[in-house]
Amino acid sequence: MIASNRNPNRILTDPMLEKIEALAPRYPNRRALTLPALHIVNDVLRHVPLEAVAEVAAVLGLAPADVQDTLSFYGFFHQEQPAGRVRAWVCRSISCALRGGEEVLETICHAAGIQPGGTTADGSITIESAECLGACDFAPCMLANKDLHKNLTPETAVAFLQSVRGRPE
Amino acid sequence: MQTFKPVLLEAVGIPDGYTLASYKSRGGYAPLERILAQKKPLDVVDMVKASGLRGRGGAGFSTGLKWTFLPKDHPGPIYLCINADESEPGTFNNRILMEDDPHQMIEGTILSAFATRASTAYIYLRYEYPQSWDRLQGAIDEAYAAGYLGNNIRGSGFSLNIYLHRGAAAYICGEETGLIESLEGKRAWPRIKPPFPAVEGLFQKPTVVNNVETMACVAQIARRGVDWFRSIGVPSDPNNPRDPGSYGPKLYCLSGHVEKPGCYEAPLGLTVRQLIDHFGGGVWKGRKAKAAIPGGISMGLFTEAEFDTPLDFAGPGRVGCLGLGTAAVVVLDETVSMVDFLHNSCRFFAHESCGQCTPCREGTSWSLRLLERIKAGKGRLKDLELLLEIGNTMGMMPGSTICGLADGAAWPIKNAIQKFRSEFEDFIRKTNPLGWMVTDPVPALQIISAH
Amino acid sequence: MPTVFVDGKEIEIGADQRLNCIEAARLAGAEIPHYCWHPGLSVVASCRMCLIETGSRDAATGKVSMVPKLVPACQTPVKDGTVIVTESALVKESRARVEEALLIDHPIDCPICDKAGECLLQDYHFQHGQAERRADIHPFTSRRRDVGPTVTLFVDRCVMCTRCVRFAREVSGTSELMVINRGTKEEIDFFPGHPLANKLSGNVVDLCPVGALGDKDFLYQQRVWFLKREDNVCGGCATGCSIHTEHNQDTVYRLKPRENAHVNKWWICDEGRYGWHHLHDQSRLLEATRRLPANGKALAESVVIEWAEVVTRLRSDLKSANRLAVAVSPMLTVEEAWMLCAIARSIDPQAFLAVGYIPETEADESFPGGFTIRAEKCPNRLGVEAVIAAFDASVHHWEDLLVHVAAGNASAAWITAAYPSSSAVQPWIDAKTAALFSGLECLVVQDFFNSPLADLAVWRLPAAGFAERAGTWVNAAHRAQSFGQAIRPPAGVWPEGRLFWNMLGRRGLYDPIAVRQQIAESSATFAALAGEMPATGVDLRLPQLA
Repeated sequence: MIASNRNPNRILTDPMLEKIEALAPRYPNRRALTLPALHIVNDVLRHVPLEAVAEVAAVLGLAPADVQDTLSFYGFFHQEQPAGRVRAWVCRSISCALRGGEEVLETICHAAGIQPGGTTADGSITIESAECLGACDFAPCMLANKDLHKNLTPETAVAFLQSVRGRPE
Repeated sequence: MQTFKPVLLEAVGIPDGYTLASYKSRGGYAPLERILAQKKPLDVVDMVKASGLRGRGGAGFSTGLKWTFLPKDHPGPIYLCINADESEPGTFNNRILMEDDPHQMIEGTILSAFATRASTAYIYLRYEYPQSWDRLQGAIDEAYAAGYLGNNIRGSGFSLNIYLHRGAAAYICGEETGLIESLEGKRAWPRIKPPFPAVEGLFQKPTVVNNVETMACVAQIARRGVDWFRSIGVPSDPNNPRDPGSYGPKLYCLSGHVEKPGCYEAPLGLTVRQLIDHFGGGVWKGRKAKAAIPGGISMGLFTEAEFDTPLDFAGPGRVGCLGLGTAAVVVLDETVSMVDFLHNSCRFFAHESCGQCTPCREGTSWSLRLLERIKAGKGRLKDLELLLEIGNTMGMMPGSTICGLADGAAWPIKNAIQKFRSEFEDFIRKTNPLGWMVTDPVPALQIISAH
Repeated sequence: MPTVFVDGKEIEIGADQRLNCIEAARLAGAEIPHYCWHPGLSVVASCRMCLIETGSRDAATGKVSMVPKLVPACQTPVKDGTVIVTESALVKESRARVEEALLIDHPIDCPICDKAGECLLQDYHFQHGQAERRADIHPFTSRRRDVGPTVTLFVDRCVMCTRCVRFAREVSGTSELMVINRGTKEEIDFFPGHPLANKLSGNVVDLCPVGALGDKDFLYQQRVWFLKREDNVCGGCATGCSIHTEHNQDTVYRLKPRENAHVNKWWICDEGRYGWHHLHDQSRLLEATRRLPANGKALAESVVIEWAEVVTRLRSDLKSANRLAVAVSPMLTVEEAWMLCAIARSIDPQAFLAVGYIPETEADESFPGGFTIRAEKCPNRLGVEAVIAAFDASVHHWEDLLVHVAAGNASAAWITAAYPSSSAVQPWIDAKTAALFSGLECLVVQDFFNSPLADLAVWRLPAAGFAERAGTWVNAAHRAQSFGQAIRPPAGVWPEGRLFWNMLGRRGLYDPIAVRQQIAESSATFAALAGEMPATGVDLRLPQLA
């Protein structure tokens, strides 16, 4: 059921809608597509604005409140503006905290000039704290997009930050 | 102690060990073919029951027994959910299994689906494991191509689809009914039980939720046999008819203040001391250990004196811990402040509490705020009584909450304060010299804004 | 019969009854406190206030084995031998802790909260809570957020029982409300642009156990302990929801649904809930007036007539005009309808009786939870039809009366109306239809508001509102519900029942019960009205099945 509404201001693109529909046969109802649909939007836009929530709801035949309810539970999806091109999660759970994770977080945030959870003004990086990334063998660690950064020190964390900043957009 | 030759971790270190070709070269999928050709679903259930396999996700419930809770003649569909949401602090063995030997888990999944007559298996994979996603999807694609998934697998009449479903960074999605609610597209508020998932689970159909490591064990039991599995670990206590024993190899995660953090495979029953000394290269920096988490942060704490407690399903409970959990051992050296430890734990649970039921929602938040006040030098001795009361009253065990997150939040509080009481008291007295003794009730509150 | 043991007391329950521990305990007089459970909504067992100890008693040995931990009473069904303990130390401590937990972040702004006096958080604190506050957490905020045109939310008072969210999902089926965030940061909210605006919205305020959800219509209007509450029935449509009219000194402040398993369960629609403002509308007719037609067409000035004189003079005016046509409004009670028909026939034995105008919208509206708002916007059409059927072989309706009058077959018409326009400027009859009555010698209009028809009338009599009436209405499902008068009408208004009673020459105060008894004896259709009427009404069809 691709939305036939060719609203030029529509946020969900045809590729996004196709990806969502491709998953539909996996589940016996459309509500189960909620989280996959939110990820599909988020993977492209790096956030899921309210307008997109309403569109997802319409595509899935749900009330917008139901989708927003699910979305907001995770504390994962940015909504107001896109996350940085790099989304860096610095782990703060016990194994990383025992090996200096908090210092790493503080140092990298300070160097980036943002608070944990914030995004730099140039949109290059968001730094957030994460709960146990499941890489305690390499504590303290950080997940930046799909890359796991292991055995961080404040210095290597800052070096990573600088490499991100130096990246072409 | 004898070195255990890794079975679950046999692919680690083998180049391209995660491929179908590698897995088959090590004997993989042959058990599946044999079982599909010769055995019935109930045979597989019996095999797993006989092995004594207990779930590796944290609860330690007998896997085969759980499978028998499914209704006998249900028209279907029956669902199998693989809990790959591994989020218990200190735990990373599922990650290694999925990255380095995804086919082992997949063969186990197919066997388990065959046993439970499930027609669809969803792998609920936490968002934070992108490489596991890629490896698993690659393995699933290979399995379809080789005819181990899809319709009428190997002509057996059994059909199965496996789908990856991605999470979004919420710990409670590792609770089986929280996982189910999340998969269904709702907020991950665990369900009240009864009904249990085996009767009414995913999409209101009979559902089994199993852990990744458990699936790997099923594959190895099918390959090496029940007797092999039972030859490893701690047999059940002959004087206790209710003790199901702790059979099989276990993946122990070791992290924190050790020289060599890592995932190590050993028979169930290994002790913390053996894990640190034999596998972990000892406590780091030449220091002494002060305490250790025995099985993921929810299980509480061992003191150093308790390091010889066997890490099987029965051991940690004997020293006041919640249980074996995920067997993720995190070592704290002598420089660690237990106040910092407990603050870290309370912050974790306050952040992850789903918020559905009152004692956990408010108890986790309140205990965090108490710890913050203590850390900020405004603690009182009576705060410790309050923390203990919160710890003793929230949870599934007293019956006050819907799920076990609250028990996991409570146990570190109880263990830390009970086993390190003097440290907490000293900290409070030292940092709040003028106020540590206050026991007065709090004065009336001030409302700062009206509407 | 299954036996359940509640705090040592033996209670027998019906073999077919499916009760949870809260319901079973109630039978024994024990009230288990709870926030999130509601019989009309799904069970979530999340507030944990209803935790009790349970066990079972072996019928053969008498041995009681208790479950070793607390269980929620709302999700635990009872069966034969269930043992319920509601007041042990363990249970009491658990309740005190839940109460304490809920109060930690609560603003406790009772002095400015509407719910004070009917708030479960307050009540349970006094009944089950702790004397001392142990949490050292302050300050608080008490934010307000409108969630729709009629409902407002005081965010920080919410205890996350989720009744409102479940109502919008399960009963109205509109899903406007949601929970946002996780843990203690959870709040109730709505999606921007999709506020809570369904026709059953107001029910969430009834459901809210604390002062989080507020009814904007009632907000800050009256303290609840000043309100008196009468059992009543909504006059808005043919569903006939049972209600409570809550008033102080003859001023209505709000209507609340009254539980009736046969009619509305626990709900009422917004139109009914807020459909009482006409009672205090300044423009309602407040006096009986009469004007004599002058020579030619122009009507003379109207004169106020004292009610005692109305009783006699109205009768003589109608008698002299003779050839009477009467519209018996479906807003009137069965008793009033009966008396009116009796009066009409005593004036003119050939009087044309018809059911009055029936206001209607396009269609009934049904909701997933089973509630229906009827298209027929009057409470007693079936009752009035049955009354007229007792007088005539075939029942005429408003359209028949219009034809009758237009054909010149009547010289006098008594049009009872009493329609409460939801908007004060929209009369129920237009000038063109009203003009059909302009040739009559004596037109009597008994109505709530002025109208083109009343402008033409010789007699203009004020009508009563639903809360000012006493009597019986029959809803669309043939359920007769009787109710008493909740408030007195304004000084110049005699409810129709009182006027008709006097016009029949009966002595003393209007006694609808006596009229009802008489009707029950005279008409088989109304046989069920004999004797005392149950609070939830009675199905008129039942005696005919016996």
